[in-house]
Amino acid sequence: MSTEKIMTVKILRDRRKVSDEVKENLKQFNKDKKSILTELGLGERTIAQLSTGTGIPRDKTMFLVMSLVKFGFVSVGSVDDNDEYFTYKLKKNEQN
Amino acid sequence: MQKEPTTLSFDALVIGGGIAGGEAALNLASNGYKVIIIEKRLSLGGKMIMLSKVFPTLDCSACITTPKVSEISRHPNITIFTESDLTSVEKRGEHDFVAKVTRRPRYVVAEDCTACQLCEEACPVIVKDQFQYNLVGRKAAYIPFSIASPKVAAIDIENCTLCGACEKVCPPGCIDFTQEPRDYVITAKTAIVATGFKLYDPSNVPRYNYGEAKNVITSMQMERLLAPTRPFHTILRSSDGKVPDKIAYVLCAGSRDDSLGNPICSQICCMYSIKQAQLLMGALPMADITIYYIDIRAYGKGYEEFYEQAAGMGVRFVKGKIGRISEKENGNLTLRYEDLASGKLKEADHDLVVLSVGVKPNSEPAGLFTTHKLELDSLQFVKQSDPLLSPAKTTIEGVFVAGTATGPKDIPDSILSAGSASTEAICYLNQ
Repeated sequence: MSTEKIMTVKILRDRRKVSDEVKENLKQFNKDKKSILTELGLGERTIAQLSTGTGIPRDKTMFLVMSLVKFGFVSVGSVDDNDEYFTYKLKKNEQN
Repeated sequence: MQKEPTTLSFDALVIGGGIAGGEAALNLASNGYKVIIIEKRLSLGGKMIMLSKVFPTLDCSACITTPKVSEISRHPNITIFTESDLTSVEKRGEHDFVAKVTRRPRYVVAEDCTACQLCEEACPVIVKDQFQYNLVGRKAAYIPFSIASPKVAAIDIENCTLCGACEKVCPPGCIDFTQEPRDYVITAKTAIVATGFKLYDPSNVPRYNYGEAKNVITSMQMERLLAPTRPFHTILRSSDGKVPDKIAYVLCAGSRDDSLGNPICSQICCMYSIKQAQLLMGALPMADITIYYIDIRAYGKGYEEFYEQAAGMGVRFVKGKIGRISEKENGNLTLRYEDLASGKLKEADHDLVVLSVGVKPNSEPAGLFTTHKLELDSLQFVKQSDPLLSPAKTTIEGVFVAGTATGPKDIPDSILSAGSASTEAICYLNQ
């Protein structure tokens, strides 16, 4: 069963080449994800703090953090006293 | 490998699976006619399924659309082709239409998919989620959105790394990378065009700074921010995660302006902006919301009261034409506008600007009909041959039009128009 399932992707791999752009995007995403999760490992952070810590532009940090929230790696922390900026934290920290 | 196209026969061909196409199909099917819906995207529901709430009742849009879409999907007389391209429609004679359709591969066996989302979890790729108007990411193996119909996974092959992770984890083994486009020849006795509208692209107007200034967004992006299935956990600026507290709406962004190629009123922007302003006041009670308008057109039943309700809630209405939106260093925005009450040029600062983008025609259906000409009007909407007495008739006998394909309409009017198109189609079928 398992061998049969793997086969269909293998068939397409023979016919279709994955573009360098797609490969590069995945590499970059994994790099950015690692940077963000490492930074969050140090404690809760706002988007601005994460951007400063990782060197990733703020809007991209926002996109990545929201995606990581969506896919269960990150959760929402608390909002500051002015109700302006939320912090974000690693999901596993929440469970501990 | 498919050698010959598959031939299928129906009473009616409905082009477009939005709310108007769906309603027209449902009416025909409920009267015993066999209907096929051809939908370009992965899900039925069109733009309505993406909305937060509807005006002026503030009913949940998904709560209205989902049961309707589910009824369409389950109807025994309706066949649905999603992710499909209609390439041509030929009229060979009265009650004799032949359409050529290509179904793009989903790389998932739809009948076997349980929408468990394990493929999505396993997929390592993240790309911009077009269903959330690029505000958040989605995987290359993905369910389009939580209330999609059919709720079936799809593989975005353009962004897939062919790692095979989705195929490994799929419990029913329904991922199939060997799928190929399939061609169909569909015969039908009548056709309904329900191809909807396009949203105005504000990046065509440099003075709005859309695409450059990160905190200038479109009303459709705000719809997503307000929806229960929103991309963020609350209303936030996509530039830096700040909760906005001074929000501006710019009405007629891409409407009522001949120089932008869209001289007409889009009919829905005033009301959806007022709706969003009310929802924002509920979500962010401390926020200041200003609507910059030329005229407020509240023409429907309960619309004027809805406008007054917004004003009573504290939404500020400024009669002013926006000249330029410029971005400050902190991401806030300065709106330069002509205050129409005083005739003076003024400036105001906001931390989020929503462009209430207008309705643009979708002229694609005109190119589909090969033997007869489906005429468009001067604005490139589908021309109604008898707009006063038979508004669903087009310039081709036996081809009818529903919804916003003929021009801007709100949801109730789109559904009414679908009723009209299906009735005309039934009359034609009985001739």
